[in-house]
Amino acid sequence: MSGSGIPAVPHDLPEVPLSSTDTRANRTGSWRHVRPVIAEKAAPCHKACLLHAPIPQVMTALARGDIPAAGASLLNHNPFPAITARVCPHPCQVGCNRGRYDEPINIRAVERFLGDALLHRKGAPPDVSTGRRVAVVGSGPAGLAAAFYLRARGHDVTIYEREAEPGGMLRDAIPAYRLPAEILDAEIEGLRRMGVVFRCGVEIGSDMPLADLLAAHDVVFAATGAHGERGLGAPGEEHLTRGLEFLRGVRRGEITSASGTVAVVGGGNVAIDVARTLVRLGARAVVLYRRTRKEMPAIEEEVEHAIADGVTFEFLTLPVVAERVDGHLRLTLVTMQLGEPDRSGRRRPVPVPGSEHSFECDGAIAAIGEVAETKFLPKEVLDEQGWARADKATGATAEGWLYLGGDLITGPATVSEAIAWGRRAALAIDRRLRGEPPAAPERLLPTVSIKGINLDYFRRAPRTVQPALPVETRRLTFEEEIGGIDLVQAMEEAARCFVCGTCTVCANCWAFCPDAAIELGAEDAIPRVTLDYCKGCGICVVECPRGIIALVDEAKVEVRA
Amino acid sequence: MTIAWTESRVLTGNEAVAEGVCLARVQTIAAYPITPQTQIVERLAEMVARGELAARFVNVESEHSAMAACFAAAAVGARTFTATSSQGLALMHEMLHWTAGARLPIVMANVNRALAPPWSVWADHTDALSQRDTGWMQVYAESNQEVLDSILLAYAVSERVLLPTMVNLDGFLLSHTAEPVEVYAGHRVDLFLPDFEAPYRLRPGEPRAFGGLADPGRYLEFRLRLQQAMARAAGVIEEEGARFAVAFGRGYGLLHAEMMEDAETVLMVVGSMATTARAAIAQLRREGRRVGLLRVRVMRPFPFGAIRRALRGARRVAVLDRNLSPGHHGILHAEVKSALFSEPARPSVSGYVLGLGGRDVRPEDIAGIVADVERREGGEDLIWWGTGAPPSEIPVPAERREALA
Ligand SMILES: Cc1cc2nc3c(=O)[nH]c(=O)nc-3n(C[C@H](O)[C@H](O)[C@H](O)COP(=O)(O)OP(=O)(O)OC[C@H]3O[C@@H](n4cnc5c(N)ncnc54)[C@H](O)[C@@H]3O)c2cc1C
Ligand code: SF4
Repeated sequence: MSGSGIPAVPHDLPEVPLSSTDTRANRTGSWRHVRPVIAEKAAPCHKACLLHAPIPQVMTALARGDIPAAGASLLNHNPFPAITARVCPHPCQVGCNRGRYDEPINIRAVERFLGDALLHRKGAPPDVSTGRRVAVVGSGPAGLAAAFYLRARGHDVTIYEREAEPGGMLRDAIPAYRLPAEILDAEIEGLRRMGVVFRCGVEIGSDMPLADLLAAHDVVFAATGAHGERGLGAPGEEHLTRGLEFLRGVRRGEITSASGTVAVVGGGNVAIDVARTLVRLGARAVVLYRRTRKEMPAIEEEVEHAIADGVTFEFLTLPVVAERVDGHLRLTLVTMQLGEPDRSGRRRPVPVPGSEHSFECDGAIAAIGEVAETKFLPKEVLDEQGWARADKATGATAEGWLYLGGDLITGPATVSEAIAWGRRAALAIDRRLRGEPPAAPERLLPTVSIKGINLDYFRRAPRTVQPALPVETRRLTFEEEIGGIDLVQAMEEAARCFVCGTCTVCANCWAFCPDAAIELGAEDAIPRVTLDYCKGCGICVVECPRGIIALVDEAKVEVRA
Repeated sequence: MTIAWTESRVLTGNEAVAEGVCLARVQTIAAYPITPQTQIVERLAEMVARGELAARFVNVESEHSAMAACFAAAAVGARTFTATSSQGLALMHEMLHWTAGARLPIVMANVNRALAPPWSVWADHTDALSQRDTGWMQVYAESNQEVLDSILLAYAVSERVLLPTMVNLDGFLLSHTAEPVEVYAGHRVDLFLPDFEAPYRLRPGEPRAFGGLADPGRYLEFRLRLQQAMARAAGVIEEEGARFAVAFGRGYGLLHAEMMEDAETVLMVVGSMATTARAAIAQLRREGRRVGLLRVRVMRPFPFGAIRRALRGARRVAVLDRNLSPGHHGILHAEVKSALFSEPARPSVSGYVLGLGGRDVRPEDIAGIVADVERREGGEDLIWWGTGAPPSEIPVPAERREALA
């Protein structure tokens, strides 16, 4: 090389341009005018879930195959996942952020896997007993959920049920092809193992006044549902069978066949279940509904299943007269049109003058709405119309010893909503029995939207689908129509979850921070920002896959602090 | 029991790169695909995915990012690799200075390809030679075997002198052409190339800055150290090449001389063109012509001494450049002349620019150049070879003629 005569290099210089001092001497935090704030957010699924189940945590645990941990998180908010996985319409899936990327997480399938896996394992008696006693009136999902959480907290729980067997609508209404009796039986077995006492065949009010329960119990939680059925309110209404009565008859094996054409009046879940049940019994079902498909209150997916089963729909149609003619039933129908919106926001159906026409059928079933019976309740808890009233957050009423919940308060709603009432009431009753003041209302964190998710970190992957009986087969049988998935599928599906808003300690922020200003704590502790060195560049905000880090103006932080 | 010392496999140049990287037990790869290099990246990604190579494969969105990621990986002491070509190498330019200046022993395969426009994907050395002042060592392979060997050697040298190495192979001529290559058993390579213990590296517990601000009182000294490392590298390349010969039976140096005894006319070439030149010259030798061949294997550090020694006694030199420094000459030609300037007696030197953008260089071209250079006793700096006409006769479009007049 032509570089002879090389001068000497000062000895204090290293071979490579590496700072001689520890860079911690340079407190780059002094450059900052915005700062990252690491704070977990709510996932849209969690927010939409009526039980606010910690879905991201459940998915994280299950993705590693940790069934006990996933189960513990889930059971904390939902005592009966094997049931809800079968009947809940899963609003959680509708808003799933992953749905804006490829396909929403199949939360229902994962829940079903977990629910079934835990089904026969749940039900340990509580470690301690408080000696306090709670009576639960009604063994629908609200009552069962309250019993689960009260018993788990050590209280003695007795359930009083009018019917011979517990379960409410789960046993007597929702058809077996959607919720097999074995599932409900197993859940009730679990409650028995926990030590919950069932007293069936006792109707509170007629067999025993409500107040008498107080002799043996500290608190009463009543969730008696909405079982009063509205009639057609038209001449000849006695020719129509009531929907709930029909479904109960089928579930109890009293009705085993049907034939000819049967009209089903109504547009709610009961109407759809009646129609689909009729198909399975051998009849042709025609649903008559006074509004259009858009206004139907039934679960949309169920309507689709009914159509696939071969149920036909006549919309904008209302029966105004029913009469028996030669062993047939003749309904006089009027055609409706939609007018101004009513109080529910749906457009009110009004008859088209002169549109009367007749409809011949072999039978008809009315499923046009259920109402709660409140006669057995003290007047203090009823409003002017006679409806029962209770605090939404706790189920508490004007009578300190009486808590209410479920369809009794809301009118016909959903299983998850009933469970939510039961759970909230159980937690409030527990505090009352322990002499603690009522808890502050649960506050949900702000939701993280798809914009908060860094999609670069997620590979596209198809959604796991549950197996299902083919339509031709399922319309002939009461066998359960939707099947479950296995552990590997459940783990794969859980692994698709973005885990929106919950820190998984992926340590991306730590890896990307150019100033080494992110500090990792113990194994699963959320990382912390070392403000001495954070210069506010915001790289961690962008690189957080799940939207947990926000950049906040320094001035605003000071004001708040 | 028999131990498989080597396995002879038919590999393309790109596959040979990947095999070399795998044998070197590289720990981090960050790369972006580009024709004609893509198969290197694909092959390595497969090796990593299948668990054959225990490396972290970092997907990046550009070559600039690829080299930035390599910087980080090498700074914590990982054995690091990337591969690119032409436009991609050009996009890396800034980071090439960073990595060399920070003295990080990264190894990169560059598949030589012409720069656009006009668009081209074929062999040309201008891409790599445009980066000659970045502080990277540059090796040019002649065969696919040399490609594999050069990857292993590059780590051996880089990790001793703390400078990065660019291993060049001609696009398509090597990258996509398959020939038998001996792939060594892993345990033998482990003996030749043990794990790298970086003497300077980032430790999270004791944070230091790489490449921070140096005031005017220090910058010059760091450049001096870089230059000293390059000077040391020339010797280290020869040493490691000799050690490689002991281990694997094949030696490599800075400059490969062949048929040089009594040679009056010497052809200097780079890369795969040497194979064509060797065959043509052997034929000329059989005809009694005194022609020799010098293949420059390493362009940085430039082998000044070796070139001066090799050319003592030659009457004329033809430098074949598959590259061009517009406004100057072929780059090797200019550098050979600068190497010879201090020599008391020097041969005449003629520069041939040929084979750009993948134009074929055939044995007839070599024979033609030998005949041509033997007619130019004084030497000629820029001879366009293979354009079909002398430069003065290349037609100028009518609309430009006036402007040029
Ligand atoms: C046909 C049908 C299908 C449905 N499908 C779905 C669905 O797919 N998904 C969904 O989420 N929801 C569905 N629902 C709604 C859901 O079943 C109810 O919202 C839910 O069961 C309400 O729970 P609950 O505990 O409040 O009342 P219920 O389930 O009605 O239980 C009340 C219980 O109290 C008992 N009881 C009443 N009075 C007394 C008394 N005086 N003394 C003692 N016991 C008494 C009753 O016998 C009953 O067992 C459906 C409802 C029906 C009717
Ligand atoms: S991706 Fe996971 S956490 Fe996010 S909304 Fe969907 S299920 Fe919930």
